Amino acid sequence: MSTATGLRWLVVPDENAAEPSRDLVGGKAWSLWRMRSLGLRVPPAFVVTTAACAAYFADGGLPEGLADELITGIRLLEKQLGRTFGGTERPLLVSVRSGAAISMPGMMDTILDLGCNDDVEAALAAESGDRDFAAEVHRRFTGFYGRLVLGCTEELEDLPDTASVRAAISSDVGDAVPADPWEQLRAAVAAVFASSRSRRALAYRKHYGIPDDLGTAVTVQAMVFGNLDDDSGTGVLFTRNPVDGSREPYGEYLQRGQGEDVVSGRVTPKPLTDLEERWPAVHAELLDAAEQLDREGRDAQDVEFTVQSGELFLLQSRPAKRTARAAVRIAVELVDEGVLEPGEALSRVTAEQIRTLLRPEIAPGAADTAEVLVTGVAASPGVATGVVVDTPEAAQANPGSILVRKSTSPDDVHGMIAAAAVVTEQGGATSHAAVVSRALDTPCVVGCGTDTVASLVGRTVTVDATTGRVYAGELPTSAVDESEDEDLRRLTEWASSATPLRVGPDVAAEPVFDADSLAAEEIGEHIPDIPPGTKTVCGAVFCAPDGVRAALDAGVEAVVTTHRLPVLLAAIAHQRSTS
Amino acid sequence: MLDPNELTVHTLTLRQLGSAEQLAEINALPIADVEAALEKAVADGAVMAARGNYMITPAGREFLDDVYLRAFAGLRADPAVTDAMDSFETGVNKQVLTLTTDWQTIEVDGARVSNDHADADYDARIVEKLGRVHEKTQKVLQPLAQQNPLVDRFLDRIGAALIRAEGGETDYVSGVRVDSVHTVWFQMHEHILRLTGRERPE
Repeated sequence: MSTATGLRWLVVPDENAAEPSRDLVGGKAWSLWRMRSLGLRVPPAFVVTTAACAAYFADGGLPEGLADELITGIRLLEKQLGRTFGGTERPLLVSVRSGAAISMPGMMDTILDLGCNDDVEAALAAESGDRDFAAEVHRRFTGFYGRLVLGCTEELEDLPDTASVRAAISSDVGDAVPADPWEQLRAAVAAVFASSRSRRALAYRKHYGIPDDLGTAVTVQAMVFGNLDDDSGTGVLFTRNPVDGSREPYGEYLQRGQGEDVVSGRVTPKPLTDLEERWPAVHAELLDAAEQLDREGRDAQDVEFTVQSGELFLLQSRPAKRTARAAVRIAVELVDEGVLEPGEALSRVTAEQIRTLLRPEIAPGAADTAEVLVTGVAASPGVATGVVVDTPEAAQANPGSILVRKSTSPDDVHGMIAAAAVVTEQGGATSHAAVVSRALDTPCVVGCGTDTVASLVGRTVTVDATTGRVYAGELPTSAVDESEDEDLRRLTEWASSATPLRVGPDVAAEPVFDADSLAAEEIGEHIPDIPPGTKTVCGAVFCAPDGVRAALDAGVEAVVTTHRLPVLLAAIAHQRSTS
Repeated sequence: MLDPNELTVHTLTLRQLGSAEQLAEINALPIADVEAALEKAVADGAVMAARGNYMITPAGREFLDDVYLRAFAGLRADPAVTDAMDSFETGVNKQVLTLTTDWQTIEVDGARVSNDHADADYDARIVEKLGRVHEKTQKVLQPLAQQNPLVDRFLDRIGAALIRAEGGETDYVSGVRVDSVHTVWFQMHEHILRLTGRERPE
């Protein structure tokens, strides 16, 4: 049903269309076309091309004929869904997104629910029987439009209703959201074009030497709603389990739920079996689509979907979030399934994830009888034992000690680098101590309360930053070893044949540079300078990814460490980025 | 306003243990001026030198406390500055810390785990939000920037870190060993706390 012929500024990326040029339609519209050509149902869409963007800058406004073609494009969406743009019955709302062939930060992001006004809100309320939902759609749209099209810089997201958002926009920019949906659409398309030459977009392109005249396409896509009736709902599906990586679809479904409901956690969704019971055919179609997307993406996918009056729409598919354990399982499994070569599987697991898995834990049962000295918020996981010091200078002079502070500031960073763990009296999971410790992969417990410094200084303690407890004395720990875990063992084998760097406990070749032997005043915030001609490095700093990069850049041939895989993965990632 | 000697000692409270070059990057003085200031400060006992790196001494901190009282009396008495700082602490500063945490950790099945940066859209959304907060901060700190030009330099350096983060250099959001958004943000925070004589609220 492609009626795209005869259109000068639009492309309709449906299954009947030939593969569109990414340069013309942008990456997002290309993906929509790809999903349609696989036979998957996505909400109908059309694209205003980068050629129209070039004409916009040449003419100083939307090119001639585009306004008419926008009407044609919207009519296509209306026809497919049986809805009307700006209609007072079954209204059609759309999203408007930028999209270039290559990623260009600084451009306008998405406007959702465009086409809304007071009448449309009333129509949506009548259709869904949910006035709050309709009001929320209108409020959110007004905020998107105010910020992205009208350039309002006030915080609009937290305002309670459309009236207060309108008032904030009016007082900030002296302008108002038009009630005419067609005017909204034209202005949104122009705003996307203009954003491709925003100050930040220009600065980004200048830094990376990307030409300024690439411009952007604009994708206009119908919104679908999961809360219209009992035969509607919304959900998310992981093609593989995100916690342990096992090859079992896993997901949630919320009948009469809409978009943010599932993601925000405002409502508790049901497991996917709920959908299976209500709509076995839709459930089967979803699982089939998930399988195709997993294959097509060659990775575990996180698929967002909406069922609108019994019809399944796929909204988005992207590589799924996963735990470190799941990342390892999925990478190895994809090799066994014949989807990935071992070399490519190594790019699916990061050095940081392996460090996480190899982190020691307090031995089972050992904490049961131990004395808990203080507790706080676990901010950066891990376990460490050492003597408590209370100044960054003392931490630097006594490597491996536990730095305990009221709170930390930039003054403390060099001490935090030297410390085995960091504990603070004040602050939460977003405090300076928490952020810096996570960046350093140092165990950290924050917010342990007043007098923590005074009560701990000088004592030997064990910090369990996974549970947020600090124990008296030294507690035994247990650690995973790469060789004891089949998946890690295989990854290590693949990794060691993918880099010439030699990594292990006994690989040293002279001359050796040992960072742990440096004097306290030589350890700053930067990686220590590696003397020219060094063949081997050792020390904790060279086991972390930035240290590995520095070692490779200095021509080092071997890294001494007990845990091989994180260093190997960091080396391979660096080779990949520099080759 | 601080003279080059005072400014150089002050810079060592924003970055512990730095070379003349690293300090000049922060305070925008010609490197020769920083070197001269360091030499004088070492002679005065305000700064310690160790193999090309410098550190402030307790005497240096006391020296600064007196300097601040003189140099920033006007700024500290300005109600516009007080309002700007209140807004900074409760608004953009909290937002940056929350966004940095969102950058470092993601939620998987209800638990927060470290971000493997495999989801480019997730990362891009956070950098985009940081960009908006950065723009807003320029407005919020306007009353300070008018009286202290170094504030704008911090904001420019944060902008430079954002551009590198947008280009996929993920260290430039919260990395400790580079001038990441978070590193420079905290230098700036410490700088304006010292300017205004306020305590870090945590």
